[in-house]
Amino acid sequence: MIKKYFSILLLIFIATYSGDVFGQVHLTVEGHVLEEFERTPIKGVSISVKENDRSGSVITGSQGSFRIRAHEGQTLVVSHIGYLTQEIRLGSGQTKIEIVLVKDFKMLSEVIVTGALGIKRQSRELGTSAQSVSNEELNLGKVVNPLLALSSKVAGLRINATDLTTGKTDPGIQIRLRGTRSLNRDKNDPLYVVDGVPLPDITRINPNDIQDITVLKGANAAALYGSEGVNGAIMITTKSGKAQTGQINFSNSTTFSNVFLLPPAQTTFGQGQNGVYSPVTSESWGDKFNGEIRDFGLPINGVQPNKVYAAPSKDNRLAFFDTGITTQNDLSFSGGDEKGTYFMSLQDVRLKGVIPGDKSSRTGARFNGSRRFNKLNTSFNLNYVFFKNNTTGDGPWLSVYTQPANIDYKEARNWEDPNSPNHPLNWYNPVASTRNPIFMADNNRNTFDQHTLNSKLEFNYEFTDWFDATYRTGLYFQSEPGRVTNRKLVSNVATRNINGSVNDTHRGFTRFNNDLILNFHKDFGDFSTRLLLGQNVRMDNTKQINVSAANLLFEDIFNQGSRTGELTGGATLTKYRSLATYGEFTAGYRNYLFLTLTGRNDQVSVLDPNNNSYFSPGISTSFVFTDAIDAFRDNQILNYGRIYSSYNKTGNVTLDPYRLNLAYSQTAGFPFGSLVGFTPSLSEPNLLIKPEFVKSFEVGTQLGLFNDRLRTDIAYAYSDSDGQIFNAGISSATGFNSTIVNAGRIINKTIEVMINGTAIRKGDITLDFGVNFSYTDTKAKDLYAGDEFNIFRQAYAIKDHQYPTLRMTDFKREGGKIVLDKDGNVIPSEDEKVLGTMVPPYLLGFNSRFSYKSFTLGFQLDSRLGSWMYSEVIPRMYKAGTHPETVKYDRKPFIMPNSMVRLADGSIVENTEVYSKGDRAWWDAYGAIQTVTAAKGDYLKLRELYIGYDVPGKWLAGQKMIKKASLGFVGNNLFIIRHSSNTIGDPEALYNQTDGYNSFRQIPSTRSMGFNVNLTF
Amino acid sequence: MRYNIIRIGIIAFASITFVACSDFLDVNDNPNSPIKENLSLSAKLPAALVTSAAYESTQLNQVGGFWGGYWGTSNEGVSSFMSLKNYNGPAIRDTRDGIAVWESSYNNLLYYKEVLDQATAEQALFYSGIAKIMMAHHFFTLVDFYNNVPYEEALKGSSILHPTYESGKDVYRKSMDLITEGIAEIKVASLKPSNDDVMFKGSEVKWVKFGNTLKLRALLRQSEVKDQATYIRQEIAKIVQEGSGFLEEDAAVNPGFLNTAAKMSPFYETYYRNNSGVAVANYANIRPSQYLVNKYKEYNDPRLAQNYVSAKGEYKGVIFGSNAIADEFAAGNTSAFKGPNENGNKPGGVVKSFSQSAVLLSLAEANFLQAEAAERGWIAGEAGRLYQNGIQASFNYLFNAVYNIEDYMNQTNVRYGDATNKIERIITQKWLALNSVNNIQAWADFRRLGYPNFPNSVSSPTPEAYPLRFMYPETEINTNNVNVSRQGDNGILTARIWWDVN
Repeated sequence: MIKKYFSILLLIFIATYSGDVFGQVHLTVEGHVLEEFERTPIKGVSISVKENDRSGSVITGSQGSFRIRAHEGQTLVVSHIGYLTQEIRLGSGQTKIEIVLVKDFKMLSEVIVTGALGIKRQSRELGTSAQSVSNEELNLGKVVNPLLALSSKVAGLRINATDLTTGKTDPGIQIRLRGTRSLNRDKNDPLYVVDGVPLPDITRINPNDIQDITVLKGANAAALYGSEGVNGAIMITTKSGKAQTGQINFSNSTTFSNVFLLPPAQTTFGQGQNGVYSPVTSESWGDKFNGEIRDFGLPINGVQPNKVYAAPSKDNRLAFFDTGITTQNDLSFSGGDEKGTYFMSLQDVRLKGVIPGDKSSRTGARFNGSRRFNKLNTSFNLNYVFFKNNTTGDGPWLSVYTQPANIDYKEARNWEDPNSPNHPLNWYNPVASTRNPIFMADNNRNTFDQHTLNSKLEFNYEFTDWFDATYRTGLYFQSEPGRVTNRKLVSNVATRNINGSVNDTHRGFTRFNNDLILNFHKDFGDFSTRLLLGQNVRMDNTKQINVSAANLLFEDIFNQGSRTGELTGGATLTKYRSLATYGEFTAGYRNYLFLTLTGRNDQVSVLDPNNNSYFSPGISTSFVFTDAIDAFRDNQILNYGRIYSSYNKTGNVTLDPYRLNLAYSQTAGFPFGSLVGFTPSLSEPNLLIKPEFVKSFEVGTQLGLFNDRLRTDIAYAYSDSDGQIFNAGISSATGFNSTIVNAGRIINKTIEVMINGTAIRKGDITLDFGVNFSYTDTKAKDLYAGDEFNIFRQAYAIKDHQYPTLRMTDFKREGGKIVLDKDGNVIPSEDEKVLGTMVPPYLLGFNSRFSYKSFTLGFQLDSRLGSWMYSEVIPRMYKAGTHPETVKYDRKPFIMPNSMVRLADGSIVENTEVYSKGDRAWWDAYGAIQTVTAAKGDYLKLRELYIGYDVPGKWLAGQKMIKKASLGFVGNNLFIIRHSSNTIGDPEALYNQTDGYNSFRQIPSTRSMGFNVNLTF
Repeated sequence: MRYNIIRIGIIAFASITFVACSDFLDVNDNPNSPIKENLSLSAKLPAALVTSAAYESTQLNQVGGFWGGYWGTSNEGVSSFMSLKNYNGPAIRDTRDGIAVWESSYNNLLYYKEVLDQATAEQALFYSGIAKIMMAHHFFTLVDFYNNVPYEEALKGSSILHPTYESGKDVYRKSMDLITEGIAEIKVASLKPSNDDVMFKGSEVKWVKFGNTLKLRALLRQSEVKDQATYIRQEIAKIVQEGSGFLEEDAAVNPGFLNTAAKMSPFYETYYRNNSGVAVANYANIRPSQYLVNKYKEYNDPRLAQNYVSAKGEYKGVIFGSNAIADEFAAGNTSAFKGPNENGNKPGGVVKSFSQSAVLLSLAEANFLQAEAAERGWIAGEAGRLYQNGIQASFNYLFNAVYNIEDYMNQTNVRYGDATNKIERIITQKWLALNSVNNIQAWADFRRLGYPNFPNSVSSPTPEAYPLRFMYPETEINTNNVNVSRQGDNGILTARIWWDVN
């Protein structure tokens, strides 16, 4: 059906477009258009013959080339957005021409953005908001992961580093654009597109290779991507070489990072129980530190170790951490001629983590090349990255924050000496969770080597001046062998024992992505039209293997062959495929009114063939009123203004492969020899699952004031995602614990304001600033099987509440006051209390750059307001007696101020005489009340600070090697102001894709400072 | 002309690339796991049975251990099992940190439901019979924990999203009938399971006896409910009429447990040692209650020394629910389980080896159930004889050989004839026999009869409080509150199971 429709459409348009071309024969002029400074070709430049405006204009191709027919003596009009329009009179017999365009600085409002499919667009014709971030802005803070550099630079974009699986030297990234659309936490990521090819992951891209990033904020802007673009798209364009200039760049950046925002700990009481010192206890429920020399641990070879019973003045936990060091070295070469360009880069990043022994490295190379063969333009990009990671598990930090304030972690580093009290067999307490943390870090290693190869091959053929076709194929390949080892430790004390184990893993992933795009464009008098037709083929293959042995025989042989018990492991293979056809038609009137229609049909392998095909339509319009209405012409205040709007209905399938049938697996220890035992999955499959649909609407205005000294973009976006595909919890009495359904609805309303301006531009002084603000209201509507359900831990979806909602146990209260039982113990509330959203609705970013002669000062402030967070570190600290609250009453019984008491007869009265015990059991119960661990997530932080100095040209004179040189200082997270209730940690930190959730595993955040050097040869 | 060629070319290209690609998308058959249609009954039944036995050995033994008067915690375990020690209903029903008897029971029931559906379709009556008997077993357990539970509307997946609850009494009655059906099916079945029946190796008569014994257990549960007398008589008559009698060996599951993580006998792996012989945390945390140790001592019971090690020459227990850290309650100063490592590599009493069978219903219990039924005049037989058989079965089980109990039986506080309260004597010996084998029965017997009169937790919210049930779990409140809210009070200390009338 779709096929047929498509072919007919194609026919009609080919007929329409070709009709006018068979005209009389003219002189044929061939040429290309270059940019003034870098002499790079400019694509999309409109060229028309002034004397013959009926015949319309031609547009330059990707190499800036064009061909047009005209008479001798006629005048070519060359116009392009952001550049001054030129008129060129053709001399006699002139058939070759090179045109250099000059930038129009009054036109900053009008930028070229990378639209869907990597096609460059004038911002004036878009029905949506799109924001670009340049290479310069991205690399201000010298981050390793390019995505992190987007923080607070784009309105409506929220980014968090998450401490997910790969550990502390390679944090995961969570990006959300304009709120959260899916109840499935893993399905809210935007689409990542590099040079037109959608990739599963871009964290390994060298930020220095990036020319610019355009953020398409929602389904509307990314309509041509259909489902994949439902959460917006991050469009990355990598650098290409420049014609006729050879250039070598070298840069080095070294930064040092340290932990900050540790949850505070008490330093008054030391190890023991019930107020009595114990040399072998890890919990801080002993007596007060008093400076005595005391027995510490058990005798070693008959000698009793001892220790001064006092807490150092400096937080002892800091000695556990190292200073992290990140070193980046980049080298790039670029150059080219009229027919071809190349860009080559090498990067080496070394990262030493804050946890002792954690380290990673990334070594990558890129080659981007292009070559023109007459009308055939070819380009080839190849990127290879070798990433190596070596970290420890979660244990060490957990061990540190539950141990007393007098433990010396500097000394603990010396654990290998078998006679040392720091040796794991001598460590003062025998509890597995509070081993010597340095030993834990050394003993448990997670390593992996990840090879990523990403290639793109693109052919573009310009059939005529109104029609070209692009064939683009991308192959993304990742291979990741990994290994987790635990060294065996044998002790006669059972809890000191460690099983030697090894788990070897391998993950392989291949993506083949193929696009064929036909592009037609033609002007008819005042009307310009463009039609784009395309199709996409996608194949994803994954294979994961693991082989493990949990009982190794030897300390130093990490091999499954040297084990007792059985070998365990297995393999998982998945295949995903999709097909899509899409089209976009844009009509423009006098270059100030635009209408765009889009449509895409997707077909995916993961659904039942009866409902695996779905269509996503869209419409958008843009109106540049300052060009259309005479009253605005040459207006000195408002020099540019447009309004835009769009509507889309986008189908989406978030289902993983193989979820249509009830899968069985061997559980409960099976197989036992030849005896097999299979049990069904407890997540019920659903053959009838359909695509979900997101309706999104956007309206906005873009204004340029005072000759574009002040530029704003204000947008309102609405999205309604209904019939979501997700794994909903259901009553276990159904037999299953969850079922896959089309249900649940989330509505997002977002207001975004961006303001950019140049406050001063006078002589050597420039002061630029940018503000971006967004407010997002994300509400859960109609949920499945009830008005609420649990997302993860304390994060809930609750109908008509902001999503996700923090809900947790509180104290039993009466008129707001805490009610204690007759023995002075806290009582948990019967029902959990709703605190509020875990995602900050208000995002505010402010950046400014000041330059004076060779100096540049730039900074980025970032604020997020209105959310709640909680930490699982806190209850553990209460239990261990390290939390400062536990010493508030000097560990003595106390009457809790402002409390009520429930008497034996059940009546509740003001508490004037019932003492709370204030011992371990009491504080443990207190810390287990979850609201105690919650705080408001509001903050303001100085995310980036940059001071740069460009070495003046005259100092470089007299030598021919170095053309440019600059030095810089960078700092990240230099200060933060948090809400007064928040002593629990970094509000930005999150765990397992759950906003506002600080896991007990979470290590503290870091701040960093460093310097960099850039040289151009 | 040239343009026409292009035009044709494009159309040709478009039609080539858009040829029907139905094969291309046909990659959604799971290459990693079989689906239900791929599997025979013999591939499904073993895992269901092992899962049932594992719950009995670990989850149910844990609740019964603490609430049946057997267990307490050492200093090392002072922070463990808090919700059981404090009778904290909301903490037990918690999704993340609670005790998921509801979820694991219904999930396990689903395994049997899948077997039942397939067996019914394939006319494999032995399998459907087993499934029915085991489903009844799990429904009895659910009622014993939660009273009113979904039965008819349960296990239907999302076709009934909010299964309605039925009274505990009705669920008991329906489960009873399910066993009757199951027994009938097994008796006429032609196709028999073999090794895939990891409990009775396809023995028809053993399954029937097991079904009858389960019935007897369920009928005795309702002994105190006055208006059930007629019903009980009718049901006893059916058992008698059926004629196979009761268990003559332990109903125990063993798929061939191995000394590999997750393939070990569940009790051994959970409460004793892991596969490299390292003691698990429970081994240091859990200790017998002082009440239990004293009971053994009171009867000069050799099972004390068979089940436990002495600490500094003495058998010492702990006070259940105590939060106090005291030297006498340190793990090293109290009696731990005696397993092969403490017994010269010979099997201990309750801890025998990594390959020990997981007991669902012991021969000892079967005899004590018959003794009680005989004493109540429900069945024929000499109660004292059956009582002695129960004790004999327990000794044989724990000592791993036929044990001479003559001396033991000759004590006046053991001898059946000397008892003034014969039911109490039966239940007390049953309690001793089931220690750390099927602990959960002790909690039920205590709620039913109050025997033996072990102390409640010293961390109890009120001095007399005793846990009567589990609250409905948080998962159920979140997904089926419409039905939970209709059940009235489900307070752990206030709401009784239907058969708990005293």
